[in-house]
Amino acid sequence: MLQNVIIGQYYPASSPLHRMDSRSKLIAAFFYLFIVFLANNWVTYGVLIAFTVVTISLSKVPFRFLYKGLKPILLLVVFTMLLHIFLTKEGDLLYKAGFLEIYEGGVIQGIFIALRLLLLVMMTSLLTLTTTPIDITDGLEHLLGPLKKWRLPVHEFALMMSISLRFIPTLLQETEKIMKAQMARGADFTSGPIKERAKAFVPLLVPLFVSSFKRAEELALAMEARGYRGGEGRTRLRALEWHQRDTFALILLALLTLSLFLLRN
Amino acid sequence: MEGTPFERRALHDINLDIPDGTFLALIGHTGSGKSTLIQHLNGLLKPSAGSIKMGSTELKAGGKKQDLKSLRKKAGIVFQYPEHQLFEETVEKDIMFGPRNFGVSEESAKQTAARVIEMVGLPEGVLTKSPFDLSGGQMRRVAIAGVLAMNPEVLILDEPTAGLDPAGRVEIMELFYSLHERNNLTTILVTHSMEDASRYADEIAVMHKGELYLHGKPTDIFNEREALKKAGLDVPETVQFLQKWNEKSGLNLALTKFTVEELAKQVSQSLKKRGN
Repeated sequence: MLQNVIIGQYYPASSPLHRMDSRSKLIAAFFYLFIVFLANNWVTYGVLIAFTVVTISLSKVPFRFLYKGLKPILLLVVFTMLLHIFLTKEGDLLYKAGFLEIYEGGVIQGIFIALRLLLLVMMTSLLTLTTTPIDITDGLEHLLGPLKKWRLPVHEFALMMSISLRFIPTLLQETEKIMKAQMARGADFTSGPIKERAKAFVPLLVPLFVSSFKRAEELALAMEARGYRGGEGRTRLRALEWHQRDTFALILLALLTLSLFLLRN
Repeated sequence: MEGTPFERRALHDINLDIPDGTFLALIGHTGSGKSTLIQHLNGLLKPSAGSIKMGSTELKAGGKKQDLKSLRKKAGIVFQYPEHQLFEETVEKDIMFGPRNFGVSEESAKQTAARVIEMVGLPEGVLTKSPFDLSGGQMRRVAIAGVLAMNPEVLILDEPTAGLDPAGRVEIMELFYSLHERNNLTTILVTHSMEDASRYADEIAVMHKGELYLHGKPTDIFNEREALKKAGLDVPETVQFLQKWNEKSGLNLALTKFTVEELAKQVSQSLKKRGN
């Protein structure tokens, strides 16, 4: 039922991407978020797509798996695309029926925006798919380390993030369990008018909230019982290691950025 | 999901026929597929191969959408930790949730709520309280009442006593057993406890690694001690005691019910006979 949600999920495999240092992956993913917006014509989008496809195939995450994770946001992508197609009035008029006017510029804009969204989601999913939550948190804590000078609670922030990531699957499992229990009592989550369907989620959301609060309290207790007192003086079992391939990956990304700058309009 | 490292075969090659009115205990080690099996029984999970037949309704692999609602009305499932499914403002409303979903009128659902709350041994005053103000054991009873309110013909219990204290355990199990007897239900009890299985079940089915490993009358199952051990299980204490007793005394006592009381009766009778 909820098997399609891959947010924050790790896909175990052995690939160059899996072996990369989490810091370089975080930097790369973050950087990628910005350079996607550099693309503004067919050539630059082509370059970006090629880069993304190569990265995905390097990661050994089956495309089918990634696609299933994309499914939930496909609706959003299609919706944005249609909005652009109908509302942008640039270029030649391609089609007209009543008040509906479709312009060439709108179609192109729609496709570009859809591509942009897809590329963004694929790359960011790839980050969590190839990096364990612990590595992501460690990497993030390292990268944000300098901010400690300004008394920013970097460690706490990283911990919060790792806890959230850690509990996504748990929460999904719980959702599925309660959904089943209510379905066994005749609840219907999948059909009926929108209003009824929204109402049908109350029996799901209330128990989820209750159990989440309970779990948070238990977790806090368990952490305190084991003497947790924040990041000060805390040492690490596993050290992060920066390899040549990490430097290499960042150089590649810089080259990609350069080529995008050269090729864009 | 198929074709990924997360793929796992949960159930395989299961042929199980449960006659009407049977009390079946489904036993197995953690991860043996018990819970997965029972979720197939009312269409919460759909088989990727094979079929499930309940009464006149049949669920086939790859079949089109069937009338799951009538199937779910027929088979009530009490899930593990059922108190997690409570959500309404009052106990009464929560119990009415099932019947209302199956098209019962508000009036008659209210009457049902009053009836089942008594069945699970709670005072009627509880009906107007919030379920979240109750104790854990009371919440469990309310959740069970919510399933009973649907008036199921088949009652499926997934470790209904997990996490309860010993007294609560016995009370809940006795409650299910008397319901089973009185309303002529078909009951399927998923459990780890050989003691519970031996005490209440007409038939025992043992699951191991997603397959049906043993199935038969308790007496026959308990003769297969070696096979049970392979599945990570053992015969109940009463049977263990009796086997040792028979070995030492050279007698051949047999149990028909596997309770401690029955065992004590048998042993004291045989002692008396020997005394004569």
